[in-house]
Amino acid sequence: MNLERLATTWALFQALLVEAMPFLLIGVAISSLARWLSPGGAWVRKLPANPLLGPLTGAALGFALPACECGNVPVARRLLASGAPLATALGFLFAAPVLNPIVLASTWAAFPDQPWLLAARPLGALVIALALATLLGRLPEARLLTPALLEERRLSQPLSRVSLLERRSGLIGGGSAPEPPALPPRRPPLAEVLGHGSTEFLDLALLLVLGCAIAALVQTAVPRAWLLAVGGAPTLSIFSLMLLSLVVSVCSSVDAFLALGFAAQVTPGALLAFLLLGPVMDLKLVGLFGVLFQPRAILLTAVAAGLVVLLIGQWVNLVLL
Amino acid sequence: MKRDGALRALGLGLWGVVLLQSAVSGRLDLLLRAVFHPLVWGGGLVLLALAALELRWSARANGRLAPRQRAGLLLGCAAAVAVLLLPPRPSFADLSANRSRELLEEPALNFVLPPGQRSLTEWVRLLRSEPDPKLHNGDPVRISGFVLPVPGDRPQLARLLVRCCLVDATPVGLPVLWPAGQPVPKADQWLELRGVMASERFEDGLRSVVKPTLMRPIPRPERPLEP
Repeated sequence: MNLERLATTWALFQALLVEAMPFLLIGVAISSLARWLSPGGAWVRKLPANPLLGPLTGAALGFALPACECGNVPVARRLLASGAPLATALGFLFAAPVLNPIVLASTWAAFPDQPWLLAARPLGALVIALALATLLGRLPEARLLTPALLEERRLSQPLSRVSLLERRSGLIGGGSAPEPPALPPRRPPLAEVLGHGSTEFLDLALLLVLGCAIAALVQTAVPRAWLLAVGGAPTLSIFSLMLLSLVVSVCSSVDAFLALGFAAQVTPGALLAFLLLGPVMDLKLVGLFGVLFQPRAILLTAVAAGLVVLLIGQWVNLVLL
Repeated sequence: MKRDGALRALGLGLWGVVLLQSAVSGRLDLLLRAVFHPLVWGGGLVLLALAALELRWSARANGRLAPRQRAGLLLGCAAAVAVLLLPPRPSFADLSANRSRELLEEPALNFVLPPGQRSLTEWVRLLRSEPDPKLHNGDPVRISGFVLPVPGDRPQLARLLVRCCLVDATPVGLPVLWPAGQPVPKADQWLELRGVMASERFEDGLRSVVKPTLMRPIPRPERPLEP
């Protein structure tokens, strides 16, 4: 790479970074506010476990806790650790990165002249979340979740649902003694919320830096001819844009702006595939998913998400081309 | 614990300074469309305020950083310092070489300024909606832009259109009849051209081309991106 191209890559990196950072700040601020306003989290155990209603409720939570996908992982982990039904937590994890006001607003800002995309993106995200929540929900929790998360989750679940051996705590021979009343939730002091929020923002800012660096490199390194060559081919264009979304790893709050750069060159199905797959699975998320899922479950998630996105993209191309 | 709070404050403060410095120094004009600038200003101010609060409250907070988090935070601080110290200096010609040269939006103009007052972008939009070169022959032209090499053709005078940031920049250019006997300007060179619109034969048809009578190098404008 010559110096000129390096300077251009650096400028693209900065453009992505200064554009995305305020969105990241807004996401972390709202999630910190939610943590402060609703401490404890006993309510999460009352969320629906129904295979259809659960993911839909989780997806709807995106409107209350808007963040991009990297911000959603720690929130989803907290939901699972607090004993939330799997269907709801997975629905939130996979759909909320798209179904939240910030991402919908940025999609609208980037594509105000393509109303079909504004409807197709949230609908597609719902379909993916339902499919993934149904598939992963069929796995035993011990094969799905990491041991540390599973242990934390079982501690939050009542003894009527998990055994003492599974929970690794409690009294043997204690009969059916009533469980001690739960302590009333304590609202954390603002200083603590600020400390958590700051740490979360700084962790995510580093991931954002890495994502922007990869995106800037891809923008300058991938020859235009590469995209143009497959841009018009319905299936191949979907595959190439899915691959791009995996590699680029840009947050869902800014990916619509990135997609603008090649929107005119690819099929509508490929454009939608880019906007749908990135928030569910990308190279940056594989590392983050490690705090939630077992490696095989991550692989299963990637394959299933890719398949559903491919089908949606094909259907869109069939209708619009 | 207090050191962790100071480190968090440093990280927040540095990112706040990055955003504010980008806005104050005019970097944003090169990176982002103006409509997004208030977000960056606001983000920078909020981050600085959070850094001050973090510094004040760190003794009361109980959020201790894990060693891995501390290393990540230091890495983030280093990235922020790098962004502060190394301003963006993109090559518009290099950037354009990797982009689609199609207009993103509708090419039609809602109104047309007199020829001498049209910008390069307005000329491109007009020529897309009224491509017949005979309609524009002899019209005075006064435009500025950067020199964009075009494979298989003479270099054009071009501008970058953006809807959000430099990442979605799309080049639009006008062909120029560069004066014979003079070296063709280098790629990325910013020029102001005065002349008239003419036509030339190109790929089995006619196309409009700028015939300059005056050509002078200019520095890159403060706001080089066009909406």
